Amino acid sequence: MAFALQVLIDGLSLGSFYALAALGIGLLFGVLKLINFAHGAFITFGAYALILPSAATEATLGIGALPAIPLVILIVGVVVALALLSEFAVFRPLRDSSPATLMVGSFALGFVIQNLIIMIYGGRPKAVGLWSDLSAGVTLMEGVSVPKLQLIIIGVTISLMLALVFFLKKTRWGIHMRAAAEDFRMARMLGVKADLVIMLAVAISGMLAAAVSLLYVVQTGILDFRMGVPMMLFAFIATVVGGMGSLVGAVAGGFAVGMLSILLQTFLPSDIRAYRDVFVFLVVIVVLLMRPQGLFLSSAVRERV
Amino acid sequence: MLEVRDLHVQYGRLVALRGVSFSIAEGEIACIVGPNGAGKSTTLLTVSGVLKPTRGEVIYDGKPISGLSPEAIAGLGVTQVPEGRHIFTGLTIEENLRVGAALRRDRDETRKDMERIYETFPILGQRKTQAAGKLSGGEQQMLAIGRALMSRPKLMTIDEPSLGLAPKIVDRVYEVLTELRASRGLTLLIVEQSSERALKAADRLHVLRNGEMQLSGRAADLKDGAEVHKAYFGFTKEHSGEVMI
Repeated sequence: MAFALQVLIDGLSLGSFYALAALGIGLLFGVLKLINFAHGAFITFGAYALILPSAATEATLGIGALPAIPLVILIVGVVVALALLSEFAVFRPLRDSSPATLMVGSFALGFVIQNLIIMIYGGRPKAVGLWSDLSAGVTLMEGVSVPKLQLIIIGVTISLMLALVFFLKKTRWGIHMRAAAEDFRMARMLGVKADLVIMLAVAISGMLAAAVSLLYVVQTGILDFRMGVPMMLFAFIATVVGGMGSLVGAVAGGFAVGMLSILLQTFLPSDIRAYRDVFVFLVVIVVLLMRPQGLFLSSAVRERV
Repeated sequence: MLEVRDLHVQYGRLVALRGVSFSIAEGEIACIVGPNGAGKSTTLLTVSGVLKPTRGEVIYDGKPISGLSPEAIAGLGVTQVPEGRHIFTGLTIEENLRVGAALRRDRDETRKDMERIYETFPILGQRKTQAAGKLSGGEQQMLAIGRALMSRPKLMTIDEPSLGLAPKIVDRVYEVLTELRASRGLTLLIVEQSSERALKAADRLHVLRNGEMQLSGRAADLKDGAEVHKAYFGFTKEHSGEVMI
């Protein structure tokens, strides 16, 4: 029982990262039909924004030295600004092109951001101690002690999701966004302001990326210019498993992939544990062979068939 | 109210409209009929700003609108019920209506308009929290019309309202449209493939074929049918007298 709870919390906290990243990707896919390969770079950029720009091996905290509230606001602001800049400089000019062109554009954008980070901060990983007191253990019950951080990660993720659900279901702009995701042209013919809806989706996607940046740095304590890439990769897998275009699917897919990773980590024999991801991908392939449309088929996709 | 002048529209190198002109007076029901591929939907999409003309212009209330975005044109009071209805299937019926009111800020009035639509179409009111994708074809058509009404349009364009619907439901759709003109003074531009029902409802009939306007006239003057037949098919019918199309 205690062991099961431990595994569950490990799985949920890893799945939280994937689910948040998958939501950020899924949101833009819904509205723009953009498969955003720059999302990983957004995450990395948000993490590096914590320290002062310098190529020195030792990191000096800049924004990261501030109290929690201004720190979070500034990091979210930086990533949202980067996302909006990407919208104006890359996504908007390419909006009427094919989804493939948009995707390649986002891929290029991701590389540009990544190389910018290498130019400014250098290519070596840097250690950052942010909120290290959060890794202290909390005893949940007899024999189960988890880092406080894991509970925070799960709590933040669930809160962000509830906020997003509220926004999409109950607010004017949220409803417009769902309408635009389903049928962009029709929404415009009814007066939905296309540019505003897209900017909003891009900004929210940036916000979600910033959340991943912060939580991830606190958990690993390391900055690396490649850090967003595996996160993005697993998030893509999560969206595909969940069903491209379904936000519920993206979240469920994220948690499923996180859970699966932790289960394999726990139960694989120790000498093949290093190849955990191979088994994760294997399961993903099997799932997609059985349900090529993903576990949660979105209504938008269903209509187009 | 609406004047379309010498409209040319192309899809890449494919020419869809070659110099279409017609005008609609306020409070009028105008109908464009024509065979498949005549350019009917293209005409409506150009009026709504989705397609941009290569030549010619669309004048609404005295101002050219052909350069404006679809949302800007919607803001001027021109709304469209497109072919295939295009309701948002993943949204509830009520949310569909709310998107229809995208441009409005007057919450209470919007609410009242929604109630009015539920009165006109009771089935929508009964199922307002259900996903719109669950509605039948006829109900979806009603929802599409209701959604368009939520913007309080002055001119409503409707692309093939009878497509895929049972004759009885088509009757009901036309009944509603005629009532709307009477109760709200709404100006309607209806596109249909078959002219029979359109002729009954319309004040003015336009026949479009091959991207060109073949015939325009008061519906009352065209009741005979022979002229319409010739414009529609491009050849004369041997035994005229009845409308066969």
